[in-house]
Amino acid sequence: MNLKKAVALALATGMTLSLAACGGGDAKTSGTPAPAASGSGAATGTEITMWTYPIGKWGGTEAKVDEIIAAFNAEYPDIKVNVEFLDYTNGDTQVTSAITAGNTPDIIMEGPERLVSNWGAAGKMVDLSDLWTEEATADIAAVSESVVNACKSNDGTYYEYPLCMTTHCMAINKEVFEAADAMQYINDETRTWNSTEDFLKAIAAVKASGQVATPGIIYCGGQGGDQGTRALVNNLYGGTYTNADHTEYTANSAENVKALQTLSEQVKAGNLTADASFQAADELQAFANGTAAMTFCWNASNQAQYASQVSFTPYAVAFPTDQETPALCGGIWGFGIFDNGDEAKIEAAKTFIKFVCDDAEQGPESVRLSGFFPVRASQGDVYAGTEDEARMAEFQVMMPYLGDYYNVIGGWTEQRTNWFNMLQQIFVSGEDVQTAADNFVEASNAAIK
Amino acid sequence: MEQKSVPAAAKKPKKERRSEFSGMSKALVRRETISAYLFLLPSLIFFVGFVVIPMIICVVYSFLDYGLAGFEGFAGLNNYIEMFQDKVFIRAFWNTVLIVVVAVPTVTAFSLWVSSAICPMKAVTRSFFRCVFYLPVVTGTVAVTVVWKWMFNPYTGLLNQILGTTGFNWLGNPKTAIWCIIMILFTTSIGQPIVLYVAALGNVDQSLIEAAQVDGATKLQVFWKIKWPQIMPTTLYILVITTINSFQCFALIQLLTSGGPNHATDTIMYYIFDMAYKYQRFGYANAMGVVLALIIAVFSAVQFKVTKTDNG
Repeated sequence: MNLKKAVALALATGMTLSLAACGGGDAKTSGTPAPAASGSGAATGTEITMWTYPIGKWGGTEAKVDEIIAAFNAEYPDIKVNVEFLDYTNGDTQVTSAITAGNTPDIIMEGPERLVSNWGAAGKMVDLSDLWTEEATADIAAVSESVVNACKSNDGTYYEYPLCMTTHCMAINKEVFEAADAMQYINDETRTWNSTEDFLKAIAAVKASGQVATPGIIYCGGQGGDQGTRALVNNLYGGTYTNADHTEYTANSAENVKALQTLSEQVKAGNLTADASFQAADELQAFANGTAAMTFCWNASNQAQYASQVSFTPYAVAFPTDQETPALCGGIWGFGIFDNGDEAKIEAAKTFIKFVCDDAEQGPESVRLSGFFPVRASQGDVYAGTEDEARMAEFQVMMPYLGDYYNVIGGWTEQRTNWFNMLQQIFVSGEDVQTAADNFVEASNAAIK
Repeated sequence: MEQKSVPAAAKKPKKERRSEFSGMSKALVRRETISAYLFLLPSLIFFVGFVVIPMIICVVYSFLDYGLAGFEGFAGLNNYIEMFQDKVFIRAFWNTVLIVVVAVPTVTAFSLWVSSAICPMKAVTRSFFRCVFYLPVVTGTVAVTVVWKWMFNPYTGLLNQILGTTGFNWLGNPKTAIWCIIMILFTTSIGQPIVLYVAALGNVDQSLIEAAQVDGATKLQVFWKIKWPQIMPTTLYILVITTINSFQCFALIQLLTSGGPNHATDTIMYYIFDMAYKYQRFGYANAMGVVLALIIAVFSAVQFKVTKTDNG
């Protein structure tokens, strides 16, 4: 082999290795977003950067976030805040790249599964215990003790200071259900299905009415929106996803296996479709298009987002269950601070977080920007008197159905992949339900550190 | 037949070449050498910074337990041992091999066929076809996959409408998903080879073709004996880049199937990404990167060897 060929081979090898090497060490990576100078404030003083995931209008509505920063700077002119918006497709990659490259932002806005269980557990986050004063803790606990517990690690260190929360539910196409005479299976006042059996009758009626391509789609093409399929399975016969201590997964329990078998039968009967090429976003689009008569991935924010696309009434309802009340998956969003070793920046970041969450005027405004509900009892009904009051009241009904916030269990990242793989095995490959569920639990438990 | 063109200077004996420099003063030689290195420096900095150093880091990290929290211990060969016991990696390996084995020959053969067909056409027509086939290359991968995803949609997709197979889930079926990926990869990969082949065929020495035709050579003989040897360097280049691109097939998987259903479309590159960015197991991901690089190197070496043999 002559020199030219050797060099060509070396180049080919090098290109591949350099791609793989992007994930580790102190090497700078290109996936990290550059901070956008959208903030205002004094040229001197402390400058901090915040990255936000798309949590309602916190993600991508620069003008709205700028208003918050302007309000903050009116009170704290010496702290300049830069904002960068992430999305759920690439956000994790960008954060991981930033962590490995050592150029993380100061503040990040997301939920406990990332802030506490992932980055906090890896020692990358600042202890926020000083923000959790007795008063703040009592205020938040008055709404839900689950929120308080979700924001701290097993050793009691707080890595998140929460702002807002919601319950994830499902939604139906009201006109289609009315035409199929299936609204009789839903309690309009409580926004619940009468029973699991009634849910099965409803989807059969919708299928028989022939109005839509499919009554509902069990999406399992990826992890996006997997809280919907988890809640569907867990609720049908009262199963749980983890044990109460969040130390092991329980998706192979008799209740869950029965639910998976029931859903599998419904798919075979054509009353539901299982789609391994669809993630939640695809399923939501199918719902908005009128292809499907229901979605398993709904919440107040999604309703606001899809409002302009639908030509029917999206009717939010809890997941069907044979229990007294449903147990809905919750979403808790707030702020964490990356430990960049700069005390001045950490203090500035805490000041900003405190202002955004706890300020008497700004706190409710920050919650409204998220499109969800406050985690502080003192903030009351933040939508009262606003144009969103009626719409949010529809979802407020389901807030008491908030179930256990099990997302803080170890091995969360791994189990998300295991979950959609398990659904694919059951619904696409027709594997034995119990075996697939056992394999899921075994693999997910093994990932708990 | 093609003769290897060797620079005249290279053919000269060492003594003679040395004499070329003997007429120059040492200072001049040194100055020219420094100038040459200075010209090389900018690209050398990038090459070392973004290829050589990451390459070394990758190899080093492949022997470590390295996660989000940082260095967790020396892994020795554990990452490599785990890799070959990892069923998903094995599946991803065979999926990758399938993609390469199907995509590389078909892309190369189809490109050559299209190029041969459009090469004799008028310049305007030739440019039109080159544009048409090159369009998917310059179109963003995301845009291309969004269009394909819409075409493959089981409920409203164009493909099912045309074939009358409404409801069939092309990307959600383990038997068809990988072939859908290969087909999309094919459409996005043929643009550059076609442009290269059209250029290469245009540079074939016409006098040789005319001489062969005068001697009674058939079209097939003209192709195999005259054109094929002359476009061999282009073919080799196309084979190598298509092989590397196929081995590194990632964006299509990420955007269309997430490796599913049931790992039917997992590729090594996608699995590396998953391990590094989803599970934050950088040591393990780097070990897979090393193995992928070695596989590509072996494939490329075989291609060099085969084409060298063909080239006589």
